[in-house]
Amino acid sequence: MRLFLFNKRYFICLIIGFLPCGWGASFDASVTHWAYVTPERPKFPDLNANNPIDHFIIERLREEGMQLSRLATPEKQLRRVYLDLIGRPPQPGEAHSFLSNPTDIEFNAIVDRLLASPQYGEKWARRWLDLARYADSNGFQADQLRDSWAYRDWVIESFNSGMPLDRFTIEQLAGDLLPQSTISQKIATGFHRTPVCNVEAGVHPESNRINQVIDRVNTTGTVFLGTTFECAQCHDHKYDPISMKEYYQLFAFFNNTPLEVKNTSGVTWDFYGPKLDLPLSSFKMAKMNSLKNEVKTSELEKKNIKRSLHIEQKEWEAEILDALKDAPKWEVFDVGTFSTTGGSSYTINQDQSVLVHGENPDSSTYSIIIKDAKLDRISSVRLEALLDVSMKKNGPGRNFGVPENPNFVLNEFSLKVNGRKVVFSNAKASFSQEKFDVLGAIDNDVKSGWAINPQFGKAHQAVFTLKQNLLLEKGSILEFKLVQHHGEGRTIGRLRLSGIDGEYFKSNLPTEIQSILLMKNRSDKQVKALAEYYASTHPRLKEIESRLADLKKQIDDIDPETTLIMSEMEMPRETKVMMRGNYLTPGDKVSPATPAVLHAFDKSLPKDRLGLARWLVDPENPLTSRVFVNRWWSAFMGRGIVRTQEDFGTQGEMPTHPELLDWLAIELVQKGWSMKHIHKLIVTSHTYRQSSIITKSHLNKDPENRLYARASRVRMSAEMIRDSALATSGLLETKMFGPPVYPPQPKGIWRHVGRNAPKFLPTEDENRFRRAVYVVWRRGAPYASFVNFDAPDRGACVVERPRTNTPLQALTLLNDQAFVEMGLAFAARILQESELVNDEQRIQFAFRVALARNAKQVEVDYLKVLLTERENELIKNPKAIDALLSDAKWIPFTSSNPEGIAKWFTVANILLNLDEAITKG
Amino acid sequence: MTSQYYLKETRREFLKYTGTGIGALGLASAFNNNLYASTTSADSVSSIKPHFVPKAKNVIYIHLVGGPSHLELFDHKPELIKRDGQKCPDHMFKGKQLAFIRDHPKLLGTRFKYNKYGQGGLELSEHLPLMGKMADHLAVVKTVRTEQFNHAPAQLFLHTGFERFGRPGIGSWISYGLGTENCDLPSYVVLITGSVAGAGNSLWGSGFLPTLHQGVEFRSQGDPVLFLSNPKGISKKNRRDIISGINFLNETALADIGDPEIATRIAQYELAYRMQASVPELMSINSENSSTLEAYGAKPGNKSFANNCLLARRLVERGVRFVQLFDQGWDHHSGLFGSIPKKARQLDRPVAALIADLRERGLLDETLIVIGAEFGRTPMLQGLSNNRATNNIGRDHHKEAYSMVFAGGGIRGGTSYGETDELGYQAVESPVHVHDINATILHQLGLNHERLTFKYQGRKFRLTDVHGEIVNGILT
Repeated sequence: MRLFLFNKRYFICLIIGFLPCGWGASFDASVTHWAYVTPERPKFPDLNANNPIDHFIIERLREEGMQLSRLATPEKQLRRVYLDLIGRPPQPGEAHSFLSNPTDIEFNAIVDRLLASPQYGEKWARRWLDLARYADSNGFQADQLRDSWAYRDWVIESFNSGMPLDRFTIEQLAGDLLPQSTISQKIATGFHRTPVCNVEAGVHPESNRINQVIDRVNTTGTVFLGTTFECAQCHDHKYDPISMKEYYQLFAFFNNTPLEVKNTSGVTWDFYGPKLDLPLSSFKMAKMNSLKNEVKTSELEKKNIKRSLHIEQKEWEAEILDALKDAPKWEVFDVGTFSTTGGSSYTINQDQSVLVHGENPDSSTYSIIIKDAKLDRISSVRLEALLDVSMKKNGPGRNFGVPENPNFVLNEFSLKVNGRKVVFSNAKASFSQEKFDVLGAIDNDVKSGWAINPQFGKAHQAVFTLKQNLLLEKGSILEFKLVQHHGEGRTIGRLRLSGIDGEYFKSNLPTEIQSILLMKNRSDKQVKALAEYYASTHPRLKEIESRLADLKKQIDDIDPETTLIMSEMEMPRETKVMMRGNYLTPGDKVSPATPAVLHAFDKSLPKDRLGLARWLVDPENPLTSRVFVNRWWSAFMGRGIVRTQEDFGTQGEMPTHPELLDWLAIELVQKGWSMKHIHKLIVTSHTYRQSSIITKSHLNKDPENRLYARASRVRMSAEMIRDSALATSGLLETKMFGPPVYPPQPKGIWRHVGRNAPKFLPTEDENRFRRAVYVVWRRGAPYASFVNFDAPDRGACVVERPRTNTPLQALTLLNDQAFVEMGLAFAARILQESELVNDEQRIQFAFRVALARNAKQVEVDYLKVLLTERENELIKNPKAIDALLSDAKWIPFTSSNPEGIAKWFTVANILLNLDEAITKG
Repeated sequence: MTSQYYLKETRREFLKYTGTGIGALGLASAFNNNLYASTTSADSVSSIKPHFVPKAKNVIYIHLVGGPSHLELFDHKPELIKRDGQKCPDHMFKGKQLAFIRDHPKLLGTRFKYNKYGQGGLELSEHLPLMGKMADHLAVVKTVRTEQFNHAPAQLFLHTGFERFGRPGIGSWISYGLGTENCDLPSYVVLITGSVAGAGNSLWGSGFLPTLHQGVEFRSQGDPVLFLSNPKGISKKNRRDIISGINFLNETALADIGDPEIATRIAQYELAYRMQASVPELMSINSENSSTLEAYGAKPGNKSFANNCLLARRLVERGVRFVQLFDQGWDHHSGLFGSIPKKARQLDRPVAALIADLRERGLLDETLIVIGAEFGRTPMLQGLSNNRATNNIGRDHHKEAYSMVFAGGGIRGGTSYGETDELGYQAVESPVHVHDINATILHQLGLNHERLTFKYQGRKFRLTDVHGEIVNGILT
């Protein structure tokens, strides 16, 4: 079989293609590989066909003595074009005009409608997101989630709005570098913020960064140039004319973005890097405004109260002074001896506080011995954790593990009097950290304890109430023990102990405030301190303050959602060739440049990502437009004109229809880089609309259908299978955009270890039934049913997925909870149609819904028998009905006919499992 | 879709099928040479013949996730014990990239004894006494070197020869190279104890190879294979009726359209139905006699490494080509001396029993057992602030030299291969790269690692990239 149309250019290429490997290394510049020559618009073959595509196909077929098949049935054409353009089959009633009048005009009208449907972008985004290796997680250990879905939405919107592909390319590669770039243009740069990122402890950030840049270079080559640059990382490309130096010149374009991991503590790294706040959604915006209004009202009330506060304060002062007359007072204990197990130094200050300094061990237990308590009776003791300049943020803890959090953890606080242990009945602290309540310090459990994160830079105190009042004889020895073994120096830096005889809360004023109150002459500072203290105790003010704090927190919690973007560093990095691809062995310095074998880099272009992007969409570029149209052709026709879609180099296959490829590539550029224009051209061609029935002559002459004498049958993608089944079931939720969704999948699939590893909780609202493009994509464990239908992990750019046919696929469609739900809903949908009067009509309806065709009589007869069998079985075992429907909790059924649903599930399950239902035929 | 091989095979398959007559109902016979693998484009990809006579047919590959310490288990270093507590020599720290250690560390000698086992006097830790009894079947390679020192990249590098995502692992390569011997089971099965390794499911993904070569995880909780059991309320009879209905309608379509893909799908539904019975049977170890269960330390219903070792035998017995066990919990940055005895005990008995069991059943000669990890541990101490309290002592990740163990198919037992320096830091004799390990495993299966290639994105890929030397010293 002859495979090529021979014009001179392609003949040369053919020769190159058959030369022994390795020849390409000494590439002869005088003979250029076809794909590196800018396409010229081929002369139109002079044939009678309405669509230019058909000209090329028919002429080629004629050479082989073959011809196009007749058009497929209107039903098949309709199903095919629905699946290809919006990713789901037509539903009864849709596109009726074409079925009753199957003319070209009607067909074109349907195509126009589908191209304008918002579902068009949802369908086509999937392929682009495979190329862009878009996912919702970092990959590697722990595989935490990241927010980048705004980029996914940007792709959908761009396809829907018909954004010209040159702009589409420029915005993704360099939207941030466009003058006065818009939010949308920045979101677009999420394209290159998708590479995997390893944040396991102990990772080296530079190797992470280099890997990401390498991924950007290689992905750019594959996506826009159909060229594998990867080989040139370590040596000059063996086959294609790209040198190692040229590889690193491309690398230099991408080498100026900041690190994408951040050292959070020790050897721990978190995913990081430039993010963009997205505009608030209208819902969040409304909430924000109402909260802000409430803040205003509260602030006003606060102001009014404060205005009259000094009068109230006078009364309060009088009251307190009166109460203080006979209230018990805290007696600060004089430190007898102090010791630590951690070997730290210490100083006893004049105020009898102990400052611990010097050696800072992981753990330390303090012992404080009081030789003269100065009290006869003690009912409570107080521990103050005080501030000191020797600690970060003044303390009060000595934590060195996370130095910006000077915390302490007091695991156990105990007191012995003359060697006998004293029992505490209660403990109260000025503040206790969540899960570190002060009661943990007196519960005899050395694991629990008192800590104060995040209230650093503030003195704290804890009061421990004794179970029984302690009567002290003269010469009693008090021995306090503070066990602090949480680790990394989480110990108190400065402490002071006091005791009290009586109910401490009667005069539970801070020591300083109490002394100010008792003064006759107060300094301005003291007056202010007192006023502030009083304001802080005023009940209504306290309420308002706490409400304000709450409101503030709520406002802060309305975080704008974020998305990952590219951003250039001010000082560009130097790029050097990496010997053997290893960044630890740098070679010569290089600057940004494009490979010499391709069209020239215009001198007026900036030598940055923006320049590179503009260079890619230069009409002189021989590759980008061809690569784009070839991928679409493959999506519609089942295979590319160049079969090796990801390799247009000398090792790739030759195009089967080179002139068609060039014609389409030029048509794309000349028609304003319009994807929809090319899609319309393809789907309105006879070549696309013809029958897929395989004849003997097809098998003899062209078993692989390289020449398109028939339409190809292609198993649908995982996503299209889900979306189609959702549409068939009537469950499809058409809500667009937003954070990823979690439809059901078996338990135990997300089992990663590590910090912040996320959990999979299936959604229980309408989000459960949204299109596949919105399903969360975790690289370490992508959605289980997608994996069984050949979805990649999105760890790297994938041009074309394999298409396998395995028993696991059968099990998925038969038993996966998600598909069972769809089957049940489909069964209910069949029963809801009130105009259907018998089972035969119901079966016909089900076929039209699932397969967009009528059932044949043999099919109807067979299924009727099965329905009877099932009905009998359910009569014998009615429990099966409840059991089956117990899986349908989340389905918004409108009818209540569980027997019928359980019976018709048989038909629904069968139809959703048919080869025909998961094949674009 | 990208390989030329694919193209040829598609056509061959197509012609073969159409030769037998479209629409005939005795379809299965045309396909049952390899039902599992049947696909549009790659049905017989798995029928590549070995490049030469193989020594082994199957592999049981045990990966100890986290990287166990070779210094506590396999590589005895008296000098390191002698110099315990001294600062490590500069060449082991200065200018080196380490995952966790940041300050100049001290040397850490093992606190465990080593014993000599078997006729060859193979040295193994006192904590591997039962494996010691099998010493004459074991070959220990002490000088394995890798290039990655973080878990996920090192796991990817060991399995796929590449530290990033996108390439197939060794199990997928072997499935691609040899296919399966059991039409009713996948050729590559994965069993896991503990949580999944850092690199996730991609470790057994097929990368750019057809996805039918990906590992299929057989789980010890829930369905052993995802989606295996019928929905609640669907009886066996109803399931049979449904599958018959699907296949009847598919046959009708096949008669109309003539696409052999439909015939494959019919066969796959029948296989799925059979798997619903055969896989639970396979995964249930109730039928094993009590002495076998005891030998492994396995218990029906348990989720344990011992159970998985026993399942591995059941799988290779049934012709599964590549069985991979992942066992989590070997990343001993701290608590080293407390954890190793516990983990070693979990490893020792089942592995020894597996070797003995395979030997008794005459399967040891044709089954290659590999025990490996993504890397080893540093001879230097890693501990919080260099604190030497026992529970703080550990070792960091170590890529320069570590040990892997081989047994069975074509392995010369009682072998110790390669020597590390006196501190166990790097090879001083017979260094072995992980590419060499992979080349050797393929070699034992009759596959030439330089010829087992797949063309993708314009390039022929190999598991071993452009490297790999057979480690002849451990082979018979």
